[in-house]
Amino acid sequence: MRSPAADRRRPTLWDGVVALVVVALAALLVFLLRPAGGSNLTAVITLDGVQVAQYQLDQLDQPITLTVDEGTYPLTIRAEQGRICIEHSDCPSQDCVRTGWISKPGQQIICLPNRLIISLFGSEPEPFDAVTG
Amino acid sequence: MSVSLQRLTRSAVLTALALALSVAEGLAPLTILVPLPGLRLGLANLVTVYALCRLSGREALLILVARCLLGSLLGGNLMALAFSLTGGLLALAVMALLLRLPGLSLFGVSIAGAAAHNTGQILAAIVVLGTPAPMVYLPPLLFCSLVTGAVTGGVSTLLVHRVPFPGKV
Repeated sequence: MRSPAADRRRPTLWDGVVALVVVALAALLVFLLRPAGGSNLTAVITLDGVQVAQYQLDQLDQPITLTVDEGTYPLTIRAEQGRICIEHSDCPSQDCVRTGWISKPGQQIICLPNRLIISLFGSEPEPFDAVTG
Repeated sequence: MSVSLQRLTRSAVLTALALALSVAEGLAPLTILVPLPGLRLGLANLVTVYALCRLSGREALLILVARCLLGSLLGGNLMALAFSLTGGLLALAVMALLLRLPGLSLFGVSIAGAAAHNTGQILAAIVVLGTPAPMVYLPPLLFCSLVTGAVTGGVSTLLVHRVPFPGKV
């Protein structure tokens, strides 16, 4: 195949256009995927499409450690006030562990080998009419 | 040497090279520096670009499919195969199309190829997981593909010029 691109040695203006298109698409996606605001932070943990746990992260008083061993590779999840991470996983890629702590609505940790997803959602605090106790 | 034997040998050597590149890349994953699932330099894409420029689209496709199948035998699983095939095929299609356009250099072609590869991977992840959740990773991956695409674009420019006509040796 004869291609003019193969004969060039330097980037052209049109390469810049390609780069701009990629940036524009990424920016559009960021805009479309922006999370709903809210001060409540909820973590939802799903394994293979089934929800296994849900935590109100901003209302946690002490750290929680959750071991999920129903998946292919057992893993340990640690939740603290306002943040959550996968502390340890037996999966080969370790991408989920390297993601580290997440703490903002819209953020996620995905462990693909396990088909496990931790998603953070923001929501408005539930209005209390009265607090007794 | 007969023409078909020459083509076969050429494709086999390039497949082995692509395989070696992707294994080498797996030994030092970029995700240690930037924790972003699916991020890689895409060195095996160099072979695809080279095959597209100096051989033919058909050979590029054959090399890609052989590399993905053999790669999943070497160290991956069925899921890894789905990822590399979807990403690789999409990148190949986009790059084959862009190479026909006048005005682009291999930098632009490689950036578009890297972006297409990432998009394909995310699409595969969405199908495997059954939720649109992995979409969140696409924008940062697209931004990174500018860098990885420019790097592999530079290397493939060198490669295509230094090794101009395989088979006429």
